[in-house]
Amino acid sequence: MQALGLDVLFKGSNFLRLLEGLWKALGISLIAVALSIVLGILFGIVMTVRNPVVKAVCRVYLEIVRIMPQMVLLFLVFFGTTRVFGWNLNAEAASVIVFTFWGTAEMGDLVRGAVTGVPKHQYESAFALGMTKAQAYLTVIIPLAIRQLIPQSMNLITRMIKTTSLVMMIGVVEVLKVSQQIIEANRMSSPNAVFGLYLTVFILYFVACWPFSLLAKRLERKWSN
Amino acid sequence: MADALLKIEHLRKSYDGNVVLKNINLKVNKGEVIVIIGPSGCGKSTLLRCINGLEPIQGGTIKLDKEIIDSTSKSITKLRQRIGMVFQSYDLFPHKTVLQNIILAPTLVQKRDKKEVIAEAEQLLDRVGLLDKKDSYPRQLSGGQKQRVAIVRALCMHPEVMLFDEVTAALDPEMVREVLDTMLELARQGSTMLIVTHEMAFAQAVSDRVIFLDNGDIVEEGTPDEFFNHPKTERAQKFLHTFEFEHIK
Amino acid sequence: MKKSVFVKVLAILTAAVLLLASFAGCASNENTASESKASDASQTDSSASNVVYRTLDEIKSSGKIKIGVFSDKNPFGYVDENGEYQGYDVYFANRLVKDLGVEVEFVSTEAASRVEFLETGKVDVVLANFTVTDERAEKVDFALPYMNVALGVVSPDSRVIKSLDELKADDEVIVITGTTAETYLTEKYPNIKLQKYDTYANAKTALENGQAAAWANDNTEVIAYALQNKGYTVGIPELGSKDTIAPAVSKGNKTLLDWINSEIEALGKENFFHADYEATLAGTYGKDYEEKLVVEGGKVE
Repeated sequence: MQALGLDVLFKGSNFLRLLEGLWKALGISLIAVALSIVLGILFGIVMTVRNPVVKAVCRVYLEIVRIMPQMVLLFLVFFGTTRVFGWNLNAEAASVIVFTFWGTAEMGDLVRGAVTGVPKHQYESAFALGMTKAQAYLTVIIPLAIRQLIPQSMNLITRMIKTTSLVMMIGVVEVLKVSQQIIEANRMSSPNAVFGLYLTVFILYFVACWPFSLLAKRLERKWSN
Repeated sequence: MADALLKIEHLRKSYDGNVVLKNINLKVNKGEVIVIIGPSGCGKSTLLRCINGLEPIQGGTIKLDKEIIDSTSKSITKLRQRIGMVFQSYDLFPHKTVLQNIILAPTLVQKRDKKEVIAEAEQLLDRVGLLDKKDSYPRQLSGGQKQRVAIVRALCMHPEVMLFDEVTAALDPEMVREVLDTMLELARQGSTMLIVTHEMAFAQAVSDRVIFLDNGDIVEEGTPDEFFNHPKTERAQKFLHTFEFEHIK
Repeated sequence: MKKSVFVKVLAILTAAVLLLASFAGCASNENTASESKASDASQTDSSASNVVYRTLDEIKSSGKIKIGVFSDKNPFGYVDENGEYQGYDVYFANRLVKDLGVEVEFVSTEAASRVEFLETGKVDVVLANFTVTDERAEKVDFALPYMNVALGVVSPDSRVIKSLDELKADDEVIVITGTTAETYLTEKYPNIKLQKYDTYANAKTALENGQAAAWANDNTEVIAYALQNKGYTVGIPELGSKDTIAPAVSKGNKTLLDWINSEIEALGKENFFHADYEATLAGTYGKDYEEKLVVEGGKVE
């Protein structure tokens, strides 16, 4: 305990604070994930449209998200909207917007890949049965695409959870920030706390992300027989 | 002949300037079974796809009864409900069970009563000997079983015409028979069918009329006896010859 | 066919984006509801004239002040095990809040975002070990200083370096890359050989292994080091230009700035910052450096 500085964890309300930090990180990322899945599916379908203008717009959006560090996006949304529009977004809302903006693009690209990856004869047999395009998408193409999508989107979701540590830059105190606070507050008395705390944070992230890979495995198994 | 069920006049179809179908004229009467044969790339499959509005056409008309089939019009989904189609590739929806595959379109597209559709689907499955597979997923079926389910799925829509596009071409030889038997049974019941196939013996047994298509043209047309035993054109003779083997011993 | 589905999809997408925007809008309304009531009257032209800050009166009538502090820079601004903000900056912040008669909301800031927080009015004051520089003074308004910072040099007791002139030709000095110490020594003493390390831990090991004559860093850092490690002395506690630490407010927020300045002057009469030092910094730096580090009443000697 002493060697890893784990005793620091149980000083005062430290552990509770870590859990609160984790809750904040999960709250932001999961709201963003939920929005990203819904918007990403729509965006992905829009990306499969052959119209060159639509294609170009989607491409630009995707590239912006890929090129821009999430940090810059956070600053743009949190501080930028105040400068330009006079909005006063709170830091959590700004974080959700940025993560949704990012997640929608990445999710959309995954959906596009999955939708175009559905074999052509699946579309045709749906149409041959008299389905409209919307019916074919809803009952055949999207369900098939989602099955292909699961592993990659789980990867995206866990990446989104882990990237929430950036929101400390705009004043949101999430789990990693709490751990840094605890390490610093005990810099003199327990210099080893750094190991114990990062280990704890590692375990907390793991516990938060584990259910998603479990869920992914279960769904994959369910759909494969 | 005046009230043909399916009437194709001056059909022309091309892909990027390549003419695939030149000037197809064809009438199909109710209850007639027509087999379309010809070398690969002659346009047989394309013809079926045009009839089902899966391909836009560049000239001529295709009519079912009195309605024009136009792949770009809004009425195409209505017309497709009256035309059943089975493809070469196993095209069952992999995420749905056999029964769900069959009842999806009748309940979703035709808005028919689910119970009634299930009852009919089970009856049809029983007829093709697959009732015990109704809750299986496509990947648990053999190729021949999949194609029989695909036929049942098309039939459950109560189509007026059935199109078969080389449905046995991807099957292992021992599975071909069960699928062809199913189709023969349908023909016997008086279904109107257009069949693209390479199974010559089957073609001869099932058809009322044979269409020989080569290079985007109908080269020869006749009864199975006429076509298989006394082909008139050199091209048809040459084509049929490719299915024969000399005795070497 | 294709078009109509596409239009529908686009419509849904647009609706979703609008929904998201309105959600964000709601969140912001909630956040600013209390203060906007107070500031609406005087800030109706806020977007036009770009006034982002709240005046002293607006803060008072809203009943709450937002102060940006560090939450992980012990002993200046950190959070203790009970979740309470502590440290030299926070001790001062709490006094300001008490004298203002309002509640406080501490906002955890990072070094890189301190200026932005003030420029957008997301906090009223920054009290986060904020060193006064000309570049920053163009973007924010600094009040009177309350602390000194300078460089310091620590060396082994066996040969305490009291002046950089004592260094011989083959003596090397340890610096951490990217610090003020590195820049300063490179510019002003190009003849001194530097041993550069990326991390604090590596620099520390190098000094302890006797690989160099001395180690130059922020004086608060070397002072703390010498106190924690026996056998080392800060021979040069102040080197180079003396900088100061001061509170900062949004550019142009004169009412708040004036009030803070008068507060700092008044607090000088009761030796407030000495008390602050003794309560928060003495544990780390000892009492010996109190006079060197503390700036009382805003007056730098």
